Amino acid sequence: MSAWNFIKHLPCNFYQKNLNLSRQILRPRRFPSISASLSTSSSSSCFPSATESLAAPYLSVRIHCPKHVVDPFSEALLCFGASSVAVDEDIEEDDEDSASGSSLASKEICIESIFPVNEEVKMCISQAANSIGLKEIPKFKVEMGDELDWITKNQELFQPVEIAERLWIVPEWTSPPVAEAVNIILNPGFAFGTGEHPTTKLCLLLLQSLIKGGEAFLDYGTGSGILAIAALKFGAASSVGVDIDPLAIKSASHNATLNNIPLEKLELHLPPSDDDSSSGREIPLRKEQFDVVIANILLNPVMELADHILSFAKPGATIGVSGILSEQLPKVTERYSPFLENISVATIDDWVCMSGTKKGGVY
Amino acid sequence: MAAAKEILTRRSVAATIRLTVPAGAARPAPPVGPALGQYRLNLMAFCKDFNARTQKFKPDTPMAVTITAYKDNSFEFTVKSPSVSWYIKKAAGVDKGSQRPGHLNVTTLSVRHVYEIAKVKQTDPFCQYMPLESICKSIIGTAKSMGIKIVKDLE
Repeated sequence: MSAWNFIKHLPCNFYQKNLNLSRQILRPRRFPSISASLSTSSSSSCFPSATESLAAPYLSVRIHCPKHVVDPFSEALLCFGASSVAVDEDIEEDDEDSASGSSLASKEICIESIFPVNEEVKMCISQAANSIGLKEIPKFKVEMGDELDWITKNQELFQPVEIAERLWIVPEWTSPPVAEAVNIILNPGFAFGTGEHPTTKLCLLLLQSLIKGGEAFLDYGTGSGILAIAALKFGAASSVGVDIDPLAIKSASHNATLNNIPLEKLELHLPPSDDDSSSGREIPLRKEQFDVVIANILLNPVMELADHILSFAKPGATIGVSGILSEQLPKVTERYSPFLENISVATIDDWVCMSGTKKGGVY
Repeated sequence: MAAAKEILTRRSVAATIRLTVPAGAARPAPPVGPALGQYRLNLMAFCKDFNARTQKFKPDTPMAVTITAYKDNSFEFTVKSPSVSWYIKKAAGVDKGSQRPGHLNVTTLSVRHVYEIAKVKQTDPFCQYMPLESICKSIIGTAKSMGIKIVKDLE
């Protein structure tokens, strides 16, 4: 046991060597304990519980395989238990440039593969090699996946985004480039909505044109809460955000505090359940409560929840629907047109946002 | 303008990533997270794009995705229908193939199953030009390697 405590403080190389020497000591159940200690000792992230649940441990395996069988071998690996296979194209270019003629580099390619934690890596690789007729099992090295590595890399990607003139979305760890503009500070965590995606942009622009001041806004499928928060910043009286993912709710409430939004103005909950009896925790949403409703999800949820989404809007309210590809638009229009008038469509790239006003009276 | 610049910057490929992701259920967790995160690809954009494009498949069908990651952190991806072995397992109602294919048979399937699977596979971008007969032959071969016998008719 002490050997494991020693190992977790060492860099990965030594860990690998130990793995090669004493393979019989490895048991899948050891890995979870090591990964838990790795995650707590690394730099803190904003959502420790979120990272634990989404950053499940995984095995990262580097395999050296002959160049000419890369494609069939990758496919075979996927069939026999690998979760993903990545082939670095970089190495090929380097070989062509350097005329050194080192035989190892020019004939073999390195594959990085990810396996679930309790998978028998060696058996999987040998079965894959057998299935495509390789005579010998390729060399490989197994490492415990460094889950925080890819999480931090993903966060680094998030830069301040200018949606329109004087409207910026800024990550929590950066200062706003244009201080006088309307700046929405966000830390999306694992929820959707950083402002970079065309659908988010479409919805934000729609919101900007609709909110004049004092409206009640419903964001169905709120993700990081970006639309709900933006609505309040534009002058809406109150916002409600609904999402089926509890992590998204957490992310959205965190973002609300980042933007100094009091709880009375922004409510967040999981979708109301079908039976009307309130569970005590969730405040049921009243029908016909909102002036603006936006649902930026995907085709299937938008079709299934159409009645729901429509019921929460007041007659004459504007409803916006996005997360739809342009080829999926006809289906959505057909579903919503009995209830909406003045339907208009905005497009960015292949994504569309459909909006209309709810017909008054009985729907 | 932007398109020409795009072509110039996107020429160099950093990596090719192959993954299996359930249709409509891509999330930024393993295996998608680490596989794409390593090449600094926008996870959320991929998840949303992939989920939107696989809405027409039955939820949670494992789709084979091939992602081409470019050096400037942009990417393109193609989605293929599930592997033949998955269809065979589903049709036969088994979880795993035989431990000793060739010696031990797990179950049997009829040629009608093979035909149905071949029809679905023919819609794949890579199989569109193959005659149905050769697709069927390849399916029978895969089934044999999993220890599943193909018979003319199931009794």
